Amino acid sequence: MRRVAGGLLLGFVLLALLAPSVSPNDPQVQSPDRTFAPPMRVHVRDSEGWQAPFVYRQVLVDRISRTYTDSHDVRVPLQWFVGGRLVSVAADRGPLLLCGADAVGRDLCARLAYGARLSLGVAVLGACGALLLGAWLGATAGTFGGRVDTLVMTVADFVLVLPVVYLAIVLRATRPLVMDTGEMFVLMSAIFAGAAWPDVARGVRSVVASERSRDYAEAARAVGAGPCRLVGHLLPAAYGFLRIEFVLLVPALLIAESTLSFVGFGFEGAIPSWGGLLKDSEALTAMYSAPWLLIPAVALFVVVLALQTLAGAGASAVNIDRARTHR
Amino acid sequence: MTPARTLRLAYTAVLTLVVVVFSQRCGTPQVAGDDWPVEGGRLVATFRTEPTNFNRLVDAGPVGRLSALLTQATLLRVDPTSGDLEPRLATAWTGTPDGLTWTFTLRPGLKFSDGEPFSSSDVLFTFQALYDERVGSQLGKEMQVGGLPLQVRALDDHHVVLTFPAPFGPGISILDSLPILPRHKLKAALDAGTFPAAWTASTDLSAIAGMGPFVLTEYLPAQRMLFVRNPHFWRTDEQGRTLPYLDELEVPIVPEQNAELLRMQAGQADLINSGARAEDLAMLRDAQTAGRLRLVEAGTSIDVSTFWFNLTPGAAATQQKPWLGDEIFRRALSHAINRQVIVDTVYLGAATPVYGPVTPGHGEWYVPDMGATPFDLGRARTLLTSIGLEDRDGDGVLEDTRQRPVRFSILTQRGNTDRERTSAVLQEQLRQVGIAVDVVALDVPALRGRFGSGDYEAMYYGASSNSKDPADNMGFWLSSGGFHFWNPGQSSPATAWEAALDALMQRQATTMDRADRRRLFAEAQQLLADHVPALWFAAPTITVPISARAGGATPAVISPPVLWNAEQLYITGTRR
Amino acid sequence: MNSRVAAFALRRVVAALVLVVSVSTAAFVLARMAPGDETTADEAAGLDRQLIARKRERLGLDRPLVVQVTEYSLGILRFDLGQSAKYERPVATLVAERGANTARLAFAALLLSTLLGLPVGVYTGAYPRRWGARLTTVISSAVLACPPLVAALGLLFLAVSTGWVALAPDRLLAPALALGLPIAAVLERLQSQATREAMSAPDLLAAAARGIPPARLVWVHAARQSLRPVLGVYGIVIGSLFSGSIAVEFVTGWPGLGRLLFDAVQSGDVRLVSGCVFAGGVCLAVGNLLADGLRALADPRVRELA
Repeated sequence: MRRVAGGLLLGFVLLALLAPSVSPNDPQVQSPDRTFAPPMRVHVRDSEGWQAPFVYRQVLVDRISRTYTDSHDVRVPLQWFVGGRLVSVAADRGPLLLCGADAVGRDLCARLAYGARLSLGVAVLGACGALLLGAWLGATAGTFGGRVDTLVMTVADFVLVLPVVYLAIVLRATRPLVMDTGEMFVLMSAIFAGAAWPDVARGVRSVVASERSRDYAEAARAVGAGPCRLVGHLLPAAYGFLRIEFVLLVPALLIAESTLSFVGFGFEGAIPSWGGLLKDSEALTAMYSAPWLLIPAVALFVVVLALQTLAGAGASAVNIDRARTHR
Repeated sequence: MTPARTLRLAYTAVLTLVVVVFSQRCGTPQVAGDDWPVEGGRLVATFRTEPTNFNRLVDAGPVGRLSALLTQATLLRVDPTSGDLEPRLATAWTGTPDGLTWTFTLRPGLKFSDGEPFSSSDVLFTFQALYDERVGSQLGKEMQVGGLPLQVRALDDHHVVLTFPAPFGPGISILDSLPILPRHKLKAALDAGTFPAAWTASTDLSAIAGMGPFVLTEYLPAQRMLFVRNPHFWRTDEQGRTLPYLDELEVPIVPEQNAELLRMQAGQADLINSGARAEDLAMLRDAQTAGRLRLVEAGTSIDVSTFWFNLTPGAAATQQKPWLGDEIFRRALSHAINRQVIVDTVYLGAATPVYGPVTPGHGEWYVPDMGATPFDLGRARTLLTSIGLEDRDGDGVLEDTRQRPVRFSILTQRGNTDRERTSAVLQEQLRQVGIAVDVVALDVPALRGRFGSGDYEAMYYGASSNSKDPADNMGFWLSSGGFHFWNPGQSSPATAWEAALDALMQRQATTMDRADRRRLFAEAQQLLADHVPALWFAAPTITVPISARAGGATPAVISPPVLWNAEQLYITGTRR
Repeated sequence: MNSRVAAFALRRVVAALVLVVSVSTAAFVLARMAPGDETTADEAAGLDRQLIARKRERLGLDRPLVVQVTEYSLGILRFDLGQSAKYERPVATLVAERGANTARLAFAALLLSTLLGLPVGVYTGAYPRRWGARLTTVISSAVLACPPLVAALGLLFLAVSTGWVALAPDRLLAPALALGLPIAAVLERLQSQATREAMSAPDLLAAAARGIPPARLVWVHAARQSLRPVLGVYGIVIGSLFSGSIAVEFVTGWPGLGRLLFDAVQSGDVRLVSGCVFAGGVCLAVGNLLADGLRALADPRVRELA
């Protein structure tokens, strides 16, 4: 079970890393006569018998109801490793749409791959940031105790109740209007790190606080270790907690990013991220006649499921606490 | 012949006979036999906006309009489908030859919904409130000619005289938006200076009275409004039956389009208070095939989103990128944009390509092919080269004479699917001629803030209008107007052509002859097309879904498309 | 002992109150810092400048930020959240109305997840080897991975493709399912684990030895014992229900607090924004207090620590 989950995750990570070579098309190129086009079927057999994998060209029948038919007269063979792409079709044979197309006729498959880069990337970077910040603050609070502890934990409580959407809007407003994707990526990760650290800090603090009274800590203190040294001694006790916390934070932030982008406060429209892609499917009727727009939701589900399987049982209780980060 | 087939044949024969006999019994041929008004019953029409105030003089938004249309009556009405004037509270009117003074005869024996009689004093009171400083009515600002209010006086209980301060092109059709309010209910509030707070969403609904077809009897915040037939409504149909046909009109507040459509599809709503989105048509067409609803085309929208550059003097954008303010640059853009592609992708074909702000929906004011710039990449490139924008380093993006890339940003409205998608298409199309575009979607407040402070390069946005008449849309045409998007609120015209435009529009607004007005307005449109201060791409076709059981709807392109004529809506039945 | 518990509870309540007030004040400041304000939409509608100036004056927008913030936080202490510029009604009323909707949704989701999660959890915990239990375990871990956004979209898809009116987005069922199913899965997992532990506890083994029928053993004895640890999670669940519903409300159009907050952000209605944050903070604080209380009930050790 865990092996399958690991495999799936690896698949998505590869998809993200190799997005330019894996995707059959440029994620920005629009095909006006492919709006809401359905996914193409790959055939290996037709009336003349077995063939190398091929597709049929899509022909627009009715724009409003997004009806397309396959034109069966010409086989369009798939070509492998041409122009740096794993799989594609000849440029004059129309785009290869393995997952269908979005509202302006962009390849959903390519956008999913490029979206994985941003969505997974923000989640991982945000989780790392939250862990670092949370571990540092939590350990400080746990080691020093007293006023420092009260201060850190009050701030943590405060941040927990603050809506992330707000943080995102205000921080976005302080930046220039046009931001390139990289800058936006860092900003989003920073926002998530800033919003998710309190949970980590709480956990680390309680671990460290209970370790403080252990013999080795007393011993360290007896030989004159200052509070800063002490943090270094105590923190390793929280490693186990931090590891689980990381596996839990990544899906939580992945969901948070998707929700934020879905609602419209994340990545800008043309930049593909999973939540942004889902925005197209928000219209009920898009779903009615173009259910493939939900593919990003399926991807989201699979990644979260895989991460949860890796985290193992018992993590579920902590998981619901994460629901807060959805805001 | 199998028994089943025999049976089926016999059945068909009997059915045909029945139909023939009955249709002859009915005598006069009825085009749609079952589209016949049933008196009574309730229809459900969803609405997007949460009410804040039910007084049209106070709330200039959609709620004020809806509430005025349903519960109040005006002196006369402009039929939005035909443009004809219809008598309402006034039965007749006569004007002096100069069109400045009009005498209205009021309908006798009318009562407000609370039973109080109506007289000319109510008309005088309404005008008094309209122009009262403490009311600060937006409608009052709009109902002025040359900055001066209209004068009104009563001859007796049933005659009022209205005087325009100056000649006014649209004439008395301006009265279409003014509901005549009950003096007996509101006088105290006006005197006390609390008029704006008299009919708010939290006041007791019995304080509201009117002469419209319905009375608002219930308002549950975030849920619904319930309108019940006004027993004192005067109007009857051709058969002499009293209007409205309906007993009740329920207006659930459904802020979300998905929910609205599902209700429609499930038969829980009979009308939605807007046109359907192009992408929803597929689902609605299936529902139409299944017999659950009808799709009625109202026509081409009169609201077209506008794309413009910031041409305000001294704007940072044009200082750094002087080509942004160049007419030739904008003309090149217009040639580089394939409007048919926008029509096909954004509106799924349900739109008309346009080159100016006046669409086929404007009827008599529309001039086909005015300022058309056909899609022509070669021409676009030539024009760009002529102002020194060329790809000098072969990176696919043009550079100006100072070697800086030709790149600008478009601000558009977040959450408005059509505008966001059109911007995405623009981005892609302009990339073809080597112009790099960044699209930034902002919330309305942020967008407005940028517009107000002139802190942007280009914007794709728009305003909606309640009137097809150019004289009612002077805010766009005049250089001093707030909707003169590219350079709003000029104290004196910044360019010679804008001065000429101002003069033309002033003349057409104060000309009484319709043909003259059309000619002057066409000249104004030509002037606009010659100087391309802004670009327009596509005017959507407005298609309104109506449930199978609702009848009597005559959808218009002006919002609200159906409820403007709520008194004639009915539940369809069979003629007895 | 009792007075100590009371003092502790009081201290917690006061701390929560201070937290909520400061958070909504912070929201007020943040929202004021964001571009645009209550009158920008009026400017968009081309309203008269004089009218707008009057509105700005009425809303106090012409005064310095510090004054506005101070007045606002003093207002909260008197439970006066001010007037919404968008709806022209008191924020407190609006928040209460929408909060009631959110509460209705949260309650429905909670009920649903309890009725579904607990019995199924007892079943899978007591009979882990049955194929039904295995299947349920697989399903519930799948549901667990279904974020509310995905669940809501999925249900919406089900609604359009089947035409089931019951799943229409503005009916209670769809949002309650989207919100409640993942929680049901959590409860099922926890209850299952707790039941399994209870079944192997010495007292239950003894009871089984005494010849109590197996069904009674599972559904009365084991269920009762295993309920305690699960109870402790409820507080967290309640807190997250209120805050975690924004995605669901957004997709399904449920007129709750999340939607109100979103609309307020969109129209730059600063007081309403802070009011929503206030309400969200109160819900979260109440959830946390409840969590602590329930945990104390379930586990005597927590009580001693207090």
